[in-house]
Amino acid sequence: MQSVASPWKRMQYRAAHHRRTVEVICPTIATMPKSYYPPESNLKAPDGMRKTRTIIAEDPHWTLALVPRLSNLCLQSIASNFEENPIFEQLTPSQRRFIQERLSPSLPLHITANLISDGIYWKRCCELRWDLCDVSLYGHSWKRMFFERCLENMIELFIPDVTEPKTILDMVPHCRNYVKRLDICQLLTPVKEPQRAEEEELASEHEYEGPSVDHFDFGILLDKLTSLEELHLVYRVKHCGMNFEWKMFEMTDRDCESLAKALMSCKTLKLLRLHQSHIEDNKCRLLVKHLLDHPSLKVLDFSHNLIGDRGARGIGKLLSRGNLEVLNLCDNVIRDHGAKAIAHALSKNSTLLSLNLRLNRVRDEGGQAIGEALLKNNTLCHLHLGGNEVTAPTAVALSEALAQKNILKSINLSCNNLGEAGGKALQGAMSLNTSVTECDLRLTEVDEQIVAFINQVVWTNESLEEERRAREKTDK
Amino acid sequence: MEEVDMDPEKASEPENVEVKSRVFTLEDDKDPGVELSGEMSEKRLQEREKQISPRRITNLQRHLTTLVTNIQTAADARESMRRKELEEARKMRLELLENDMKSSQEKFEEITRGWSLTKEKVSAQELQEALNNQQLLLTSLLEDKKKVIDELQQELKLGDDHFVKDLKKQAEERDLMLERMEDQIKTLTKAYREELAQTQSVNQRETKDLLTNDTSDWEQRMKKLWDTEQARLAQRRKTVEEYEAKIHSLIFETMDKQTATKIEQNAKLQVLEREHQKTLASIIVVRLNQIKEKHELEVLTSSRVDSLQTEKKNAVAKPNNQPRKTSQSLSKDYKQSVQQYERLQKKLKQIVVADARTFEEMWATVEAEVRQLAERALEIDSLICRQHFGVAWERPPMPLAASSSSFHTERQTHRPARRAVSQLYHTEQSLQRSSQRTTMGVDAETESADVDHASMGGTATQSEGDAELEDGTLTLETVTKVMELLWEEVGFLMEDDPTLLASLEKEEQTAIKLGSLLFSFGIEEEDLPKLAHFLLKYRQQQSEQTERVCDETGESSDQAAAFDPTSDLIHPNHVLPALKSFLNQYMKSRQNSCQSSVVHTEGRGSSEDKAYWESLGNVIPDSKVQLWEEAEKTLTQYIVILTDICALDTETDSLRQQNAELRMLLQQSLNPQVCHVTHQ
Repeated sequence: MQSVASPWKRMQYRAAHHRRTVEVICPTIATMPKSYYPPESNLKAPDGMRKTRTIIAEDPHWTLALVPRLSNLCLQSIASNFEENPIFEQLTPSQRRFIQERLSPSLPLHITANLISDGIYWKRCCELRWDLCDVSLYGHSWKRMFFERCLENMIELFIPDVTEPKTILDMVPHCRNYVKRLDICQLLTPVKEPQRAEEEELASEHEYEGPSVDHFDFGILLDKLTSLEELHLVYRVKHCGMNFEWKMFEMTDRDCESLAKALMSCKTLKLLRLHQSHIEDNKCRLLVKHLLDHPSLKVLDFSHNLIGDRGARGIGKLLSRGNLEVLNLCDNVIRDHGAKAIAHALSKNSTLLSLNLRLNRVRDEGGQAIGEALLKNNTLCHLHLGGNEVTAPTAVALSEALAQKNILKSINLSCNNLGEAGGKALQGAMSLNTSVTECDLRLTEVDEQIVAFINQVVWTNESLEEERRAREKTDK
Repeated sequence: MEEVDMDPEKASEPENVEVKSRVFTLEDDKDPGVELSGEMSEKRLQEREKQISPRRITNLQRHLTTLVTNIQTAADARESMRRKELEEARKMRLELLENDMKSSQEKFEEITRGWSLTKEKVSAQELQEALNNQQLLLTSLLEDKKKVIDELQQELKLGDDHFVKDLKKQAEERDLMLERMEDQIKTLTKAYREELAQTQSVNQRETKDLLTNDTSDWEQRMKKLWDTEQARLAQRRKTVEEYEAKIHSLIFETMDKQTATKIEQNAKLQVLEREHQKTLASIIVVRLNQIKEKHELEVLTSSRVDSLQTEKKNAVAKPNNQPRKTSQSLSKDYKQSVQQYERLQKKLKQIVVADARTFEEMWATVEAEVRQLAERALEIDSLICRQHFGVAWERPPMPLAASSSSFHTERQTHRPARRAVSQLYHTEQSLQRSSQRTTMGVDAETESADVDHASMGGTATQSEGDAELEDGTLTLETVTKVMELLWEEVGFLMEDDPTLLASLEKEEQTAIKLGSLLFSFGIEEEDLPKLAHFLLKYRQQQSEQTERVCDETGESSDQAAAFDPTSDLIHPNHVLPALKSFLNQYMKSRQNSCQSSVVHTEGRGSSEDKAYWESLGNVIPDSKVQLWEEAEKTLTQYIVILTDICALDTETDSLRQQNAELRMLLQQSLNPQVCHVTHQ
């Protein structure tokens, strides 16, 4: 039996072996777009006809069309040798797309940055680096997204006196034309040396021997970014853990000075957002001083800082000497004097559209001042006075403005103890008003019926507004 | 703090509910209005529906956002409250600290005063007391400070706890906010979906309505179209039927017409055919008449006067009978053509004879010339042989004599043939002449008396046959008789249908029979009399033979006598062999006559003549010619030498002259000297 069985087994084994080798060969052939030989030549195994036949029969992808075209081969070689010989401008759009799909994302930026336009290549680069890529936040431009995020990353990971500023400056010529917004959510402090404790004793003697910069100096960067429009800045450290120090969440005077100069040098800036950075009156005044007469700044956001009356006075000056359209000072410590200063500026201003003074300490004096200023102002559309400890007199002042002028569109007086009197005054004003489409009177101790009435008026105004808009649309 | 925190929540929650309820009430308020308006008209209802759905969505949006933002505003409120409290706490703390500072200052001053008092003290006890007092004061101060510190620390702790609590709360709120946001999104999407579905349904309804309207419209129009089309179709059918009926009637009309015309034409055709047949019959009759007339003419021409008379008579009797005229003219033409043919034949024969004569003359002259040339060549040969080679010349065996003799003999042999030909010719001529004569005679006879034909036949033929035997000519009578006999005897060879002949008259029968017979034998009509003659002769020979046999036997005379009366011309049994022999002879003679013209040329072109001429040409054989050539060569050499010699002779002559002159001069010169010498 053994003698009979063994050859049979051997045959079976050989057959299985053949199948395995075939299966091994097949995918390699199927995934061999770069093989310049037609697949047949590879298949001509010396074993015999059976093998070749099975391969062709079992490879469903084998067609003559698999033989790559010469033009495709050329483009492939261009893509593979792009670093040495970048050919891109001369190609037709379809060929460019072909190359963009095949270029390695690890190519040095000095080759690709100004050569390859926005498209698939940059998409591939972005998706390789980051998991979340919402291109709609970047004006639907993958290239812009790539460079902005690159630069942000570099700045966020910049350690003063450790990282060479040159590394960032090298990047500038590549990304200069594409960076429109910088959203920086952390700025690292200099590295603390271990013998810091001992040196503290000598600190008084060598006061300036500490780090040359407390945070990244924007002075070297902002004047070079010729198309920067938005700057979001936070002086803080993410994930600090147990190394927490208050210093990490503060903007120092030196930082403020350098930043103020840098902002002055950046002429294209439209939006500045400097929040949660412990800005006091002095720093605010310094910044505002440098931002006076800025040619393009439209939006200023100093929310969640420590700006007081003096700072507010400075901002009031900025309002009268600038083109600000949106001012956000929420969560500061502006009191009645500061509010008065702002109100004074507002009475003369003709550009500001939105003013946010949420969570300040404006109180009735400031509120009344703002209400009076609104009588003279003709532009402000949005006003937020939520959580400002204003009471009925402010409401009366505001209701006067609302009754007389149909400019204000949204008003927020939530979290203020307006009382019945204020509510009634507002009701009377709103019955005459036609422009307000949004009125927040929550937690204001106003009578429910009045609130309902005001809401009714607001909704009618809203529907009227919509109708007007629709009419405008149809007119267009 | 808790209460304060809870307040906004509480405030917000019922508000939400109320807002919701209000919204619903609003919607409820509107519903009856909608119903009322729905009674007014459906369109308005639809418009309302359209308006309501966005309103509902805006309401939803508003309420949901307020739900979300409520938390924020609550947080804001709490924050502001916290800040307020913080400020108050700070104020209190500051006051407390100030008080504490003031009291501690007083105490400190007391202590410092105590220290100054101690300096005044001298005694140790007092000092000790003072010290103790101071110590007490200090401890009290310290305790106060400690108290304050503890209080502050407790506050701090409280604050920390608060902070943690706040953080937790805020986290919770944040979660809540997230939840609400999600809810908002969900509800909004739901609402949007509903709205979408509604709009879709409205749209579908509208499209359905439109579709139904359109389809109904379409159907109506189609129906209209269909009706109109059917009406048209019916009309068309009617018209078609009308036209068909018209066409049928037209077809029948035309058919009738055609059949009528056909019948007419058929009748005409039949008439025409009948006429044609009639004419054919008449033509046949005319032809037969013509044949008859021919015979008659032949009969008529035998006697010219009678013929003329008869012609006149005919002319007078049937002046209008054209076929006869034409036949006459045709016969005339025929005669003329026959005469012409004969003339041509004669001419041909004469030309042949003349050609032969000229050929003979040519032959003789050429032969003589050739002979002379041969003679000359032989003479030259003899000269060369004798003079040049010095060999005795022998005359080569002369073929000329024999050949010439043979030629002469040949000529002599030819001559009888020629003579025979000429004889034949002569006989032919005479025969023709006689035949002409006989035909005319026959014509005359037929013309003169048809009745006498049979009775007279026997005697006339005999007499004429005798005369003919003498003259070598025969009368037509005998000829016809012989021919009839021939026909009777040999007719079985023919394949002609006797029924055809039966319809014809006897004479015509015989004529046709004769024609066919002669044609079958291949004998020409001219040779007919010859045949008759031969047959008669044959009879004579036969009779002679029989006579001889009779002489020998002595019985045959009776037999012959017995034979003779039945057939005076020839015995019917002898006709066939006689004919055979005649045919043989005739064929020979014909061949001869045919060849006779050729014989002169062909006979000469034979091999004998060729040999003769070659022998004449080769009088000098090739060996001799070679000899001659060699001789010529030697002779030319000899001539050259001779010419050289001749030239040399002239030179020698001139030299001789010079010599003589010189001698003369020498002598002259010598002579004076001699003279002189002699003189001297």
